[in-house]
Amino acid sequence: MTAVPTSKGAGPFAGVALSSRQGGAGLARQLQALAAILRWRPLFALGYVIVIGVAACAILAPWLAPYDPVTANPEAYLQPPSWQHWLGTDNTGMDIFSRILYAPRTDLTIALLGTGVSALIGIPLGAVVGYYEQRSRLRAAFSVTVMRSADVLQAFPVFVFAIALVAVFGQGIVSVVIAIAFVNIPIYLRLMRSQVLSIRGMRYVDAAFVAGASDFAILSRHILPNAVGAALAQLSINIGWSVLLTAGLSFVGAGVVAPTPEWGSMIATGFQNVTTGQWWPSVVPGIALGITVFGFALVGSSLEILADPAQMRLAVRRREAR
Amino acid sequence: MTNGTNAPTALTRRDTLRLASLFAASTLAGDLIGGTAAHAATAGTLVVAAPGTPQSLDNEFDGSLGTIDAIGQLYDSLVAYKKIPDPKVPDVLREDIVDDPSLPGAAHLEGRLAESWEVAPDGMMLRLRLRKGVKSNWGNELTAEDVKWTWDRKFALNAIGGFQVGLMDLASPDAVKVEDRYTVSFHPTHPNPIMLKIQTHRYANIFDSTKCKEMATAEDPWARKFLESNSAGFGPYSLKSLVRGQQAVFTARPDYYLGKPAIDTIIYKEVPTSATRTALLQGGAVDIAQALQPLEIKQLGKAPGVTIETVDASSMMWIILNAKVAPFDKPAVRQAMNYAFPRDAVIASVFQNIASPLKGCMPSIYPGYSDAFDQYSLDLDKAKALLAEAGLPDGFKVEIAYNAGDPVQEPIALLFQTSLRKIGVELVLRKVPAGTYFNEVSAKKLPMLFFVDAPWTADPVFALRLYFYSNSFVDYSNYANPKVDEMIEAGSQMTDLAKRTELMLEIQKIVMADAPWVFVASPNFTMARRDKVAGFTYYTSNSINFADFSVKA
Repeated sequence: MTAVPTSKGAGPFAGVALSSRQGGAGLARQLQALAAILRWRPLFALGYVIVIGVAACAILAPWLAPYDPVTANPEAYLQPPSWQHWLGTDNTGMDIFSRILYAPRTDLTIALLGTGVSALIGIPLGAVVGYYEQRSRLRAAFSVTVMRSADVLQAFPVFVFAIALVAVFGQGIVSVVIAIAFVNIPIYLRLMRSQVLSIRGMRYVDAAFVAGASDFAILSRHILPNAVGAALAQLSINIGWSVLLTAGLSFVGAGVVAPTPEWGSMIATGFQNVTTGQWWPSVVPGIALGITVFGFALVGSSLEILADPAQMRLAVRRREAR
Repeated sequence: MTNGTNAPTALTRRDTLRLASLFAASTLAGDLIGGTAAHAATAGTLVVAAPGTPQSLDNEFDGSLGTIDAIGQLYDSLVAYKKIPDPKVPDVLREDIVDDPSLPGAAHLEGRLAESWEVAPDGMMLRLRLRKGVKSNWGNELTAEDVKWTWDRKFALNAIGGFQVGLMDLASPDAVKVEDRYTVSFHPTHPNPIMLKIQTHRYANIFDSTKCKEMATAEDPWARKFLESNSAGFGPYSLKSLVRGQQAVFTARPDYYLGKPAIDTIIYKEVPTSATRTALLQGGAVDIAQALQPLEIKQLGKAPGVTIETVDASSMMWIILNAKVAPFDKPAVRQAMNYAFPRDAVIASVFQNIASPLKGCMPSIYPGYSDAFDQYSLDLDKAKALLAEAGLPDGFKVEIAYNAGDPVQEPIALLFQTSLRKIGVELVLRKVPAGTYFNEVSAKKLPMLFFVDAPWTADPVFALRLYFYSNSFVDYSNYANPKVDEMIEAGSQMTDLAKRTELMLEIQKIVMADAPWVFVASPNFTMARRDKVAGFTYYTSNSINFADFSVKA
């Protein structure tokens, strides 16, 4: 069955998701809109440059890094930036530049996995909750139970909750991924629920229902593709936030195991040396972390505009006016 | 808008930023300096920045730095070591712990609460005669009953004091006898050459039993509740206030039997971060900063108005190799770990040379110590050969636990990890919160852990018995060598000093070869103080006595 076109109310990726017939033209239109946004707000382009740059560092680190990022060298103990060690060394003599290059491998992996898992769970769950809300008793009870559970999850301060999860599962990358996924699930759950609540009353959904489509078919083929845009736009913002949370957990000792190159743990290791004059072990990874989160925030903002048809039309109109 | 001086002007973003910076700077300065500057530097007041306030004032149940420091001020022991100038830092005094067989107990002692003492030639009796007219902070006179009650309490509560009872080899409370109002004697089950030395122990302090009995109840006959937050002792200071987590205030006792201490008031502030303690000392907000990191000590060494005194100490840092956990059940593997440890590099980098390599299994400053049996300089080829000999030519994977509260342990573990990687050993780091670290150590389950400790009594049998006697609770390595056990038992009862020393050297030789530890470092004890503070004396308990200090006008 083909869905009734509803692109007016749908998000930026709705056209892509609707059908293969519309896919090519939809993607081209989205790219054009993205280009318009980047021209309208050139700072957003910087965001894409940063994100691509960080991803490139993660991929190319073994070829770019001058030193092994986990090999200690007592002879190079806390050396300031020099030609030998561009960004100096830490209190085990590890080269900070090399560790900075390798760090996105850990930070981005954790952030992408954590955010991805939370989206994979939160999006379909949110769709089901929204779809069944205020329906028959059992289904409504399911929705209420899920939403109240999310309330409980979100009642805890995110950081404290993440520390508790890491304490339960033990220190390590997998634990941090689980923690990030857990604290992010309610975000996608609520986002999708609100989207689905607004979409489920539309005529094409009613049409599908009258045509005898099952709940699963209605949700997966007609509602989800049209509601998922906002959640996907949220992904980028969440990735940046997850990088920050990963770093925060590592900073308090609940994140990755030393000497894994990771910005938060690098800051934690180096911050004690700031007062004794060795600023580079913590300041440099701090700057790298800040830039990365800034980059993801910019990309997220651009995607938000892309997800908002009104703002998108405004951007395109401005471009055409030039 | 005109630029007239009276014209109202809008607050620009730059102005806002300036104001914010000024506010932040003033807040920081207030926190670091102004907040306590009102207390510091006043005449007759000493402000100490410590990692923590005393959690308990009852030495039976607490061994943290705050408690150790407090006990030294509120209580006194029966005897103490005489003081001599430190051979390397003559301005610093330290205990004269060299053995002298011509003296009772072979120790250079001077009286504290006891004015004279005698040790039976066969080592079966110690008699002490107390000073007369010594008053507690509650005004009660010291008598032999106080000594008796103190040791009865150790028997009854059987915690830290129980360990001392064992060292004294006392079979029952009856082994401590009140001979008259001012004379008390100890009667061990076997000859005991260190009975007198144990009386110098920081925790061999005497309670005012009159006050304690007054505060005791049927449910609490040993006044535990009272002594947890109050004192009843004969020391130079009394407790004015204790707010845990903030500060303890001590006041000099004008009726102290050795004369009123030079400094009237001691403010013992809790400053958990060593970087903040450094900043406070540098800014003059405190007079003494305790437990600083090597780099901070280096930095303070260049700061005007600050004096750093660093001396050899009884403290030792080692890595426990659990002899009951494979592959450390094989001596060759334990030796290999030592040959792979970059000890000199660790001393030069992480410790900034404010420590010396640990070349023995007891403190290097104690009588009977020898570094002649140290064989463990960095030698990766030898380490690899030893692993092959132990049937592990390809190495192995092992976890090392370290204390999150001790900033030097992680970098040492990382340096060790890099070194071990070269011989095929994969070392996985596990950070343990400071609050639960000791639980991990005392559980004796993990294969490798860092540990820092010091045997407070300056005696080789005391030190070796603590860590290498298989029945000792403190034998955290699960090290068990029947020959060593036998020799320690023999040495514990040996009154012939020369023979005893010979026996202790033999034990050190065996233990060093068996390598139940990775021998890391012997960190110095460092006093970081303002120039105006004088009188630092080093004690083997690695704590300070406020009564030693004076403040220059």
